[in-house]
Amino acid sequence: MRRHAPRLGSLAVVAAVLIVLPFVLSSYHTYLAAEVGIFFIAILGLNILTGYTGQISIGHGAFMAIGGYTTAVMSRDHHTNLLVTMLFAFAFSFVVGVLFGLPALRLSGVYLALATFALALSVQYVPLQWSTYLGGSGGVQSSTTEGNVWLYGVSWATAATLFAVAWLLLRGRVGRAFRAVRDSEIAAVASGVEIGIYKTLAFAISAAFCGAAGSLYVMWLNGFAQPQEFAVGLSLSLLVGAAVAGLGSLWGILAGAAFIGLLPQVSASVPVIGNQHGLDVVYGVLVVLVMLVLPEGFAGLLGRLRVFTQGLNRESTAVKLPESSSQ
Amino acid sequence: MSINRKKLGAVLGVMVAIAIAAASTAGAAQQSTPGVTKTSVTIGGTFPLSEPSPPNGASLYKTIAYAEEAYYGYVNAPKNKGGLGGVNGRTINDIILDDQYTPSETFAKTKQLVESDHVFAIVGSLGTATNLATMGYLNNKGVPQALLATGDAYWGLCALKGSAFHPIKNVCTKPKPWTEGWQPDYPGEAQIYAKYILAHVSHPKIGVLYQNDAYGQNYLAGLAQGLGSHYSDIIGYNKKKNSAPDGAYSVGESNAQIGARVGKLEADGANTFVIFATPGSSIAALATEGALHWTPSGGTFLNNVSANRIFMLTAEGSGAHPAGVISSTYIKSQTASQFQNDPAMALGKQIIYATGNAALKHEWDIGDSNLVYGLAVAWTFVDALKHAGNNPTRASFMKALRSLNESGANKNPFVYPGMVVKSSASRTFPMQQLQLEKWDGTTHDWKTFSGIYNSGH
Amino acid sequence: MLRIRTSEFAIPVALCVAGAIFLLVGSLESTQFARLTVQGVAQGMVYSSLALALVLIYQATHVINFAQGELAMLTTYIAYQLIQWGLSYWEAFAATLVIAFVLGVILQVTVIRPVQHRSVIATVIVTLGLFLLIDGVASWEWGAQLIILPSPFGSTDLSYNVGGVLIEHLWVGTSVVVLLSLAVVWGLFRFTKLGLAMRAAALRPAAAALAGVRVDVMLAIGWGLAAALGAVAGLMAESSNLFLDPGFMQQPLVFAFAAAALGGLESPVGAVVGGIAIGAFQILLTGYVPALGSNLQIPFSFAVILGILLVKPNGLFGRRQVQRV
Repeated sequence: MRRHAPRLGSLAVVAAVLIVLPFVLSSYHTYLAAEVGIFFIAILGLNILTGYTGQISIGHGAFMAIGGYTTAVMSRDHHTNLLVTMLFAFAFSFVVGVLFGLPALRLSGVYLALATFALALSVQYVPLQWSTYLGGSGGVQSSTTEGNVWLYGVSWATAATLFAVAWLLLRGRVGRAFRAVRDSEIAAVASGVEIGIYKTLAFAISAAFCGAAGSLYVMWLNGFAQPQEFAVGLSLSLLVGAAVAGLGSLWGILAGAAFIGLLPQVSASVPVIGNQHGLDVVYGVLVVLVMLVLPEGFAGLLGRLRVFTQGLNRESTAVKLPESSSQ
Repeated sequence: MSINRKKLGAVLGVMVAIAIAAASTAGAAQQSTPGVTKTSVTIGGTFPLSEPSPPNGASLYKTIAYAEEAYYGYVNAPKNKGGLGGVNGRTINDIILDDQYTPSETFAKTKQLVESDHVFAIVGSLGTATNLATMGYLNNKGVPQALLATGDAYWGLCALKGSAFHPIKNVCTKPKPWTEGWQPDYPGEAQIYAKYILAHVSHPKIGVLYQNDAYGQNYLAGLAQGLGSHYSDIIGYNKKKNSAPDGAYSVGESNAQIGARVGKLEADGANTFVIFATPGSSIAALATEGALHWTPSGGTFLNNVSANRIFMLTAEGSGAHPAGVISSTYIKSQTASQFQNDPAMALGKQIIYATGNAALKHEWDIGDSNLVYGLAVAWTFVDALKHAGNNPTRASFMKALRSLNESGANKNPFVYPGMVVKSSASRTFPMQQLQLEKWDGTTHDWKTFSGIYNSGH
Repeated sequence: MLRIRTSEFAIPVALCVAGAIFLLVGSLESTQFARLTVQGVAQGMVYSSLALALVLIYQATHVINFAQGELAMLTTYIAYQLIQWGLSYWEAFAATLVIAFVLGVILQVTVIRPVQHRSVIATVIVTLGLFLLIDGVASWEWGAQLIILPSPFGSTDLSYNVGGVLIEHLWVGTSVVVLLSLAVVWGLFRFTKLGLAMRAAALRPAAAALAGVRVDVMLAIGWGLAAALGAVAGLMAESSNLFLDPGFMQQPLVFAFAAAALGGLESPVGAVVGGIAIGAFQILLTGYVPALGSNLQIPFSFAVILGILLVKPNGLFGRRQVQRV
């Protein structure tokens, strides 16, 4: 999110398209569009962490897992309304985010990234070990399941809500503190910013967002939570999506979410290459190309377009993603 | 400034909407029965055509899918070209999708098959956890989940009775009338080994190497059940948790780790060794047995899904001495001498060769049992489809699937002689017989011995 | 100055010595322990080789190369193909090292160099893209076949009998090959002008450039070297596998990350020590505490590493980072 609100025009266009889409698309494609909404939420969360405080995480799939299992288990055991489970998923992931964020303060840069990677790897094994309660490899099935249009509606409504929440949060003192942490931790400390609190807060908020996304993700998978759904590949996908998005612009995050949500589907139907391996090749090539062409992500592209149309130079330095702090 | 952004936004938004709309199939033509036209029936299935991460050897089973495809090719070919001319005038179109043995992928691909490709039925999908992920969905939508390539007990127990010995809440509280398995189930197989051990080994101390998930636990539970009051013969067995930690390996453990476990079981004093693993790990286990020069006096038992001849040959090449290893089978073998002149094997060879796929032909020649399995399953599908009538519906197909009678004149040519494929309202496991076999170190192939056992349902 | 340096490394060195003594004593006590130790160390060598590759690249560019494992896998397939075309195993091995080096250089120049200076994150994502890409290409080309790459050390029942302990040829062979490779790389860095130039380019690029070192070229060579080390890791890892499958380097890569983190991402020595430690730890754990629950092994291993990182945030052999305002 830029310091100023995304123009009302942009928001209006996006809202209009989202409302019209279910009427235009087939039921199955509406279902696919719902996944984009889910990834939107997750990338938004990751953006807050990485873009604004400079901490890199390759493990936010773990928080999606926590959110997802919260939903499945609550629904299975207490027949809780799915939307209510999402609220619990949000809250619970927030707490776990704090618990992980606190010791993570000791680590920085790439070590933090590797620690989150370890988290992403390990989270799969928790349901396998405590299988009586968490279902093991057989998974956990919720008591209710929902249809394609419902999924679409709830995902995008949540995405819109959380987007507003994020924007409100980041335009104020919290956002300024986050940016201070990213730009120079030492200067931030010198200016009296309590980095520990803000870094942990960023972690917790991003975790909560991913928890909500995970909750929706399980609902999207017919209410079936299973360890392999939350394998490392998920966290890596989120990272790719966040990088494609670039630093917090609405369009950037949409682009990132669409990239990791839709591209695998599309590249599977490219002729000649229409098998799973071809899909990976095409997807991999695209990831490489996008990064070569747009190292600052889609937001960087928009930034440059804006510079081009305005003829001003201000913005181009602001949208660069931070490097690790140990240089 | 704001005008430019608005314009850009508007243009991008419209482009995105058009792109997606254009890509979407404009409202599926509502057919009375999805996947069925006057001239064709479209089915689909998910298979591990490539490895999951971490790899576990599951993609070795992809030849099942290719064999099924080949069989349908044979069925579809016109009669004057050596085929069967379709089923009731319809050709079979089989869409095989890769789910990489990952349940969330399975769900996504299955949903695609049902809602985007509008298949008539899901046929032959492989895997336990993978099929569990789609069981609820398919049953809710009334789509047949037929002839699954897995021996888990869920399918039979869950089908019409709505309960399983390993209950997962909400997955098996209601009957799943649209789901049906095919092959003899894993617990049943394990029970047969248990009974054999009790009859032939005095004071057995059984070391079990098994995959620590639903797949492996199914086998272990069956073994314990078959041992009855002697379940403590299994080293380290915890009846409440259905676990035997020393040999419980996780998917993803390296061959070196599997080897370490085998060493531990030997050190524990096992005189009987039972392997309930997936191919890669089974081979590693057999190879370690060879490396340790360990020949358990009570014998070594191998689950039949790992007993494919190509796996055994690989094990031998890696230092295993599997002579005397006992397993079971329920299908014919391309290489065993007793089937040298069997017309079904000749037909199978012809069908596989007709694909023109050199790798597949080679697999047939060296005895890949997955191919015979695939042909057998495809045969059953065609049998059921025939009995579903001239205008098959999903319901009529399921009815046919629940009243299979492949015996006598209508016996499945690829199944082991004397075995039947039968189903009814009370018989939800179509195949319940197994033939024991022992590995012969001189011919490097399996040799059947003893008799046909019932897996007891 | 000297005092600070030695005390920084006192603990890790002491830990290493203690660990070595533990393994030695245990091996003398029990044949099972000895077998598992040798097997674990051999397995760990593979992780060391891959971890060293990761560290080489990280030291110079602060990029975690996610594609290191897949590159190793690809070069293993290339070796397989060369053997199919008639070369002997060791001929193919040597040729593959050269091919891997060239591949590494090409990748660095074409795909990494354009992004590297602009954004570290983007570079890491490029390596992720390469991961997917290489995996897809290898699966496409060879995925349909059932491939068995014969081990150069013979089948597993060939063992040396060392005082009653059966040590498989495979383990000894693997360890020797990796040690030789590590020695060559060490020699390169320590004793040659090229090595000196590469070290300078990695640690002090600006100063090195002023001294006439072609930093960009050094980085490309670094990638090539890393790819060659990866090829060694891949071939040695494969020698204990039975089938050759496109995903076979994915687990080892995870452990290589762990080894590099444990040892310190800027420390080549740390990477090697870390790899051996993890390999030994893993196998001994499986052999002696199988009841830990096979599901908990990876989380447990990582928890241990994270614990160590909390005490030494830059890894066992890492130097404390000084941040200048």
